[in-house]
Amino acid sequence: MAKEVFYSGCAAAAYAAKDARVEVISSYPIRPYTGIMMELSKLVANGELEAEFVLGEGEHAQVSIAYGASAAGARAYTGSSGVGVTYAMECYSPAAGGRLPCQMAIADRALDPPGDFGSEHTDVMSARDQGWIMGWAESPQEVYDNTIMYYRIGEDHRILLPQFCCQDGYFVSHIPGKMQMEDQKAVDDFLPPYNHPHTLDPTKPINHGPQIFPDQGSAINVQRAVAFDDVEAVIEEVVTDYNKAFGRNYSPFVDEYMMDDAEICFFLQGGHARTARFAVNHLRKKGIKVGVARLRFMRPFPTQAVAESLSKVKAVGVIETNTSYGGVTRGGNIAPESRAACYNLDNRPIITSFMAGLGGEIVTLNEFYAMARVLSDSVKSGKANDSYWMNFEKEVLDTHS
Amino acid sequence: MAIEVKTQTMEMAKSLRQVPQEEGYVPGHRTCQGCGPALVYKLVYKAAGLNSIFLGPTGCMYVANTSYLCAPFAGPWMHTQITNGGAVASGIEAAYQVLIRKGKYKGELPNIVVMAGDGGSIDIGLQAMSAMMYRGHDALFVMYDNESYANTGIQVSPTTPFGANTTFTPPGKAVPEGRVLFPKDAPQLVIGGHPAVHYVATASVAYPVDLINKVRKGLNYKGPSFVHLHAPCPKGWLFDASKTVSVAKLAIQTGMWVNYEWENGEYTYQHTPKEYKPVKEYMKDQYRFNHLTDAHFAKMQAFIDARLKAPGKPVAVPVQGPREQS
Repeated sequence: MAKEVFYSGCAAAAYAAKDARVEVISSYPIRPYTGIMMELSKLVANGELEAEFVLGEGEHAQVSIAYGASAAGARAYTGSSGVGVTYAMECYSPAAGGRLPCQMAIADRALDPPGDFGSEHTDVMSARDQGWIMGWAESPQEVYDNTIMYYRIGEDHRILLPQFCCQDGYFVSHIPGKMQMEDQKAVDDFLPPYNHPHTLDPTKPINHGPQIFPDQGSAINVQRAVAFDDVEAVIEEVVTDYNKAFGRNYSPFVDEYMMDDAEICFFLQGGHARTARFAVNHLRKKGIKVGVARLRFMRPFPTQAVAESLSKVKAVGVIETNTSYGGVTRGGNIAPESRAACYNLDNRPIITSFMAGLGGEIVTLNEFYAMARVLSDSVKSGKANDSYWMNFEKEVLDTHS
Repeated sequence: MAIEVKTQTMEMAKSLRQVPQEEGYVPGHRTCQGCGPALVYKLVYKAAGLNSIFLGPTGCMYVANTSYLCAPFAGPWMHTQITNGGAVASGIEAAYQVLIRKGKYKGELPNIVVMAGDGGSIDIGLQAMSAMMYRGHDALFVMYDNESYANTGIQVSPTTPFGANTTFTPPGKAVPEGRVLFPKDAPQLVIGGHPAVHYVATASVAYPVDLINKVRKGLNYKGPSFVHLHAPCPKGWLFDASKTVSVAKLAIQTGMWVNYEWENGEYTYQHTPKEYKPVKEYMKDQYRFNHLTDAHFAKMQAFIDARLKAPGKPVAVPVQGPREQS
């Protein structure tokens, strides 16, 4: 039976992994994702989950163990945060290039220096070009749902790609929310057992990853690119099926709030969307036509869905929550990709980076109001800066207005 | 209900006649003439048999062995990063344990063998190797030791002997000996700190039956084992490609290499000569030592003499670290 629970994002991820019947788990402690492994270790110790709980000696090993298990025919689960995510960097490409659909839970965290526990998306955003499926949840419920959906997407034989199943550290990972956990049988019906077509099996030998010559490289790359071309269609199928099976209402790629008549919008991923919607409710009362578009997948980047959504407005404020020092907008990575997605539109909106929520700072309502001011002004003047560092530039000082 | 995990039991070979003719390491590689690691690969595969999964961390036995659509492995094989052979093997072993318990894989646990070079074992691969040993996975870690990063063009590794000329330790006016440091002791690293390990052995390409049996003994333990293999490299050590086996034999006759087993705390030694020859006899035929003086040979002799008092055990050696020497 489905049941209503009050779980943090970490607990939601752990119970989703259990319901997905993961078979090999590799752990290493780092805040804030650690809670996921603490929960899973109990489930394994109590005999509630038949799995090998492997104590990785670091994140590099965690990912290696997970993709090794995936290659041997087991559904594998791991996770990390912050510098743990970047420590494992070498292993992401072999997992994706080896077409090994293990899953890595990310509860994001600011990178050093200095040491900072706060949420920031830069850690795993640094790995966005490694060939993994990647997206953020905004609530424990969505963490639970994405964990299960991502396995079905990644394990689809048209795809066979690993997945970063991301949630904001603390804001989502550590704040409990009311959510529904689904019946095991219903999850089993939705998510068939792991069945990789090419495992390391002595009765059906394969050689995995032999050295190639440079002129063979592009042919291998193009297969990975083609697989990614198919991901969007599979995501649509899986999200539709999941909505039907469990009574959810996810749009596959961009979750819109009051976008239909909006003139300006906030564009972001993850848990800050909840504050953004709150700000929109307030601003709407003041007559400002503002909406929220929340990106559900960073990889594949849903180019068309983003263009369709952002084309509804005249100015887009991207709340980056990640850094790309020296990048196109001198802000984060989402605005440049969004601009590129809108490049072919006849009426491109103004798209600007708002550097907010860095180091785990809360993006306050006042900050959203300040961003709305800048966006409204930019609609009038027809221009905006490429980026604004919230609270550090005169246009975006938090005036508590 | 959990199904019991059954493991394979490998028979010991009394002579070469009992070694199976069946090959797991088949034609299709492009290793150098006289390649020691290729020879030991053939023997390790014969020992483990085809119900095995081999892992190949980056190194000669990855790059020179495999070419796309043409790899010399008759059984399942997977490349790993040079860093993570032990970790990927751990994941594979864990997967098989749970798949057999759940009834999803029927059959005995395959022999899981990591074939790592010296760098992939105790330099950049040390962390993953040690953790695999520590966690007690039922897998064998084979370190084929050609005493350098040979694949990338003979750069120094932690097992490169004192005095060797490598492309990172060229002898010169300021550093006449070239390689200044003495080698890391791989088996001692494993023996010293991994309570789940019951079997560690050293073997040489010069004694194939002994090598095969040590691999099998390691595989028969329901847990991790470590076998350190001496695999001379004609290209890196600069000796005639027809002399691989005789160089390996001379290493044993001079004490530069000692074959031994460590089994549940007990050491036994094999192929110990009645009297050791001077190390210079081993070193003089390898061009990598060609620049050394008698003072250098004496330094090496003193090191080996100290080590031979208790091979495989922690003993004091007459070595001054580079910061002590000024």
